[in-house]
Amino acid sequence: MNRKLIMTCVSLVAALALGVTAAIAGTVRGGADPGVTDNSILLGGTAPLTGPASQYASVARGAEAFFKYLNATKGGVNGRKITYKYSDDAYNPAQSVPVTRQLVEQDKVFAVFNSLGTAHNVAVRPYLNAMKVPQLFVASGATTWGRDYSQYPYTIGFQPSYQAEGWVYGKYLARTAPGAKIAVLFQNDDYGKDLLGGLKRGLQRSKVKVIAAQPYEVTSPDVASQIAKLKASGADTLAIFATPTFAIQAYQFANKLGWKPKHVINNAVASASTTMQIASSAGQNKLVNSTISIQFLKDPTDPKWKNDPAMKLYRSIMKKYAPSANASDPLHVYGMASAWTVSDALKKAGKNLTRESLRKTLDTFTSAGNPFMLPGIAVKTAGKDHYPVEQMLLQKWQNNAWSSFGGLWGYRAS
Amino acid sequence: MSRATLKTLAVFAALSGVVFVIPAFVNDFRAQQFAYVGVYVVALTGLNILTGYTGQISLGHGAFMAIGGYTTSILMIDHGVKDIATIPFAIVVAGVAGVLFGLPAARLSGLYLALATFGVALATPAVIKKFEGFTGGGTGVNLFGTPELTASLTPVEIIGFGLDFNNWLYYLCWTLALVGYVVAWLILRGRTGRAFRAVRDSETAAVSSGISLTRTKVLAFGISAAYAGAAGSLFAITTTFVNPDTYPVTLSIFLLVGIVVAGLGSLKGLIAGAIFIQFMPLWAQNVSKSPGAPAVVYGVALILLILVLPGGASGVIARLQQLVRR
Repeated sequence: MNRKLIMTCVSLVAALALGVTAAIAGTVRGGADPGVTDNSILLGGTAPLTGPASQYASVARGAEAFFKYLNATKGGVNGRKITYKYSDDAYNPAQSVPVTRQLVEQDKVFAVFNSLGTAHNVAVRPYLNAMKVPQLFVASGATTWGRDYSQYPYTIGFQPSYQAEGWVYGKYLARTAPGAKIAVLFQNDDYGKDLLGGLKRGLQRSKVKVIAAQPYEVTSPDVASQIAKLKASGADTLAIFATPTFAIQAYQFANKLGWKPKHVINNAVASASTTMQIASSAGQNKLVNSTISIQFLKDPTDPKWKNDPAMKLYRSIMKKYAPSANASDPLHVYGMASAWTVSDALKKAGKNLTRESLRKTLDTFTSAGNPFMLPGIAVKTAGKDHYPVEQMLLQKWQNNAWSSFGGLWGYRAS
Repeated sequence: MSRATLKTLAVFAALSGVVFVIPAFVNDFRAQQFAYVGVYVVALTGLNILTGYTGQISLGHGAFMAIGGYTTSILMIDHGVKDIATIPFAIVVAGVAGVLFGLPAARLSGLYLALATFGVALATPAVIKKFEGFTGGGTGVNLFGTPELTASLTPVEIIGFGLDFNNWLYYLCWTLALVGYVVAWLILRGRTGRAFRAVRDSETAAVSSGISLTRTKVLAFGISAAYAGAAGSLFAITTTFVNPDTYPVTLSIFLLVGIVVAGLGSLKGLIAGAIFIQFMPLWAQNVSKSPGAPAVVYGVALILLILVLPGGASGVIARLQQLVRR
């Protein structure tokens, strides 16, 4: 016993001595920008591979497939092959934080790219900006990415902001449906509230009014009571600012109650053609046929793009580099459009690529001709305007597919 | 001091030593992952007191962690209290919440109690969003870069040694984990611990020995929630962010999984349970990233573990001890 005790003490002391020296050594930092060499760039990101929002994992998979294609056919960007390492955060911001820190501190990524979710990106934004790690093309339409750019210069969003989207619906209804009375179902968080705020802004000085608005919690089982209340308000237009599951429920409950609003708005997040097909209950629910939404990407199910070279390329990339994925899922197109833009930015940042040169490139950035976006839509930042995509088209659900109509709608947040 | 106590102390000292030197052998980032293991050890210690020792199943410990986490973040942001100084408040607030919840819950037993606690876990995110002005709503509260946070990008000086962020978090979490371990051991080896076990084994027998059921259960709830509060507070400091989704229902379920893996009614295997909670999802992801695969891998691993080791890690340790004695 005694000898054992002494041995334990000795080994403890030895271990402690080792530990203290190592802890001091661990604080030394320095060197050039990590994650970039003469022939490689490492990008990282978080994605919900598991959990309640795992359908959004396609955004990361689409981007990954595009990088693989780019590396194989064009040798990457400026001779550097791009590796995109995305890790699961189960759509929980408390996991996005350690996972992102792991990407930065252990995997030594050059930049964080295409991480999904609003709160998830808000949670890591101060950290990434303090570390001067670019947080590129955040996959969320919150207004904060563009609005708070001067405070967080290393962060940039991508898609049209939810506020801009709501504004387009407002302007459209004000023009085409004077006197309409709108009932709104919205998710009780920044996402739903931004859409609702944008809608009201677009309706200013018009004869169209929001007469009822019902929030729901993302944790609640269904939206039956909200839809009943909205129907009772006597509105003739229904606006659904929800995530896919709840949007489908909204269509089904409204149909069950025999409510036939003249116009239905369904926001972009919940309007993937796959979602709409479920909502239509194999064509039985006629309500979906009066639905309006917005789009800035090419929808893989839209017959209009059947012979489009870009969409042919999209399908061939999916077939070769993501064979197990469902290529009709438009979220893959989103990922590819985003990946296309980031590779364009990396190209324009030049041969001497640093985090700083990339940030400067994105400060005044014009990227035209993204093949996965609708024709004419520009990706642009300049001066105080840090919203890369601010244009979109309206689209209508007809014959089991979306078809876009009218001209481009542009929104200036600044 | 008896020989058994001496032995326990020696084992604990060795454990503390191992904990102390781990950051020397792992890289900077691993230290942070192990800091989370420390956080889970705190939470599992508390949950095991309630579920493993007193026999009251709780599926709502994530809610008590949320109370601790929000106490810390609100004190830091709105009242300028240093992060470490908020931990005692988090313990007290969550402990009181536990006692208040325990009063009605003491009347429920078995699955009914599990359902009631599950309800609390489900309602927590909605309640946090309801009081947006107070809690920051769905947007959450960011603690990174605030002066109240002891360490962020600048190292912390402790008696002449510089500790960087991750190592600081590691030592903070594990100090509390080890202190919590000792406190739990002291509580459970005495009169109170015997009362807990008596209630678990037979309520009728406990009552006839003069134990107040309500008092014992409420006490167990209070202690357990206080531990969860400390864990929630550490979780907020380590993550530097809180929002309603950071304490989801799945967290409560993971904690229960953790004590089952660790072994119910024993403190020996808690670290293994905490390691399971922290690393199993990451390992599952490494096996395959295709749709649905990580969840399946996780589930299969859990089922296998329970089939092969029904006593959890504590059972394995106990069996090894028997082998050594022979």
